[in-house]
Amino acid sequence: MAMFRAKKLDLGCYVNIGVIRDHTKRKVFEAAEPERQALRYMIRNTTLPQRTRAMAQLQLAQMHAYTRPTQIRNRCIMSGKTRGILRDFKMSRFQFRINALQGNIPGVKKASW
Amino acid sequence: MSIPRARLLDLMKARCQLFSTTFNPDGIRTGNKVLRQRLRGPALVQYYPGRLPGIKELRQAFASQGLDCIDEAEEDRLEHIEGLKARGKGAPKKKKGGDTAKGKKR
Repeated sequence: MAMFRAKKLDLGCYVNIGVIRDHTKRKVFEAAEPERQALRYMIRNTTLPQRTRAMAQLQLAQMHAYTRPTQIRNRCIMSGKTRGILRDFKMSRFQFRINALQGNIPGVKKASW
Repeated sequence: MSIPRARLLDLMKARCQLFSTTFNPDGIRTGNKVLRQRLRGPALVQYYPGRLPGIKELRQAFASQGLDCIDEAEEDRLEHIEGLKARGKGAPKKKKGGDTAKGKKR
């Protein structure tokens, strides 16, 4: 959502709308995480009155989608792709191959046996 | 010989006091699991690399020390505008004297 987006671009990697959106979601999630955890605690605490727990459930469900951690998806920082990402290198498999063969990734070299 | 449950519970209570753990013999769900979790936000936010300072920011930062450098893109832009103005194709000058005649009057 545009209302959460930074007024000025604050990314140094490959940028497309998907990357901007994902970055925004990460920032929104970080801001809302304590509140979410508090609500989650209330929901799971069986010693609290049932009504309080139900209210907490509702409140958690009504929070904006961008505050949800499941919305976050790792993307390739070189090409913005979402699929086939190697988590250690934050790159898609093809970008990883290109950069590894060029020697841009320290400690990575092609093996053959 | 069997040991009464009350006695076992007392033992458990004493153990909890000693090792400062929560005494919860019935295994009631208190949701403490959630409170024990670490916050994931700070790590998640750092995924994408931040924007590095450009030539403009560098010039601004070092201007106070009398240092300067050439911003080629900016110079190209200014040169292009000069060319447009020389050919009479530049942007019109800004209107002077307030914004009284802005838009249609109803």
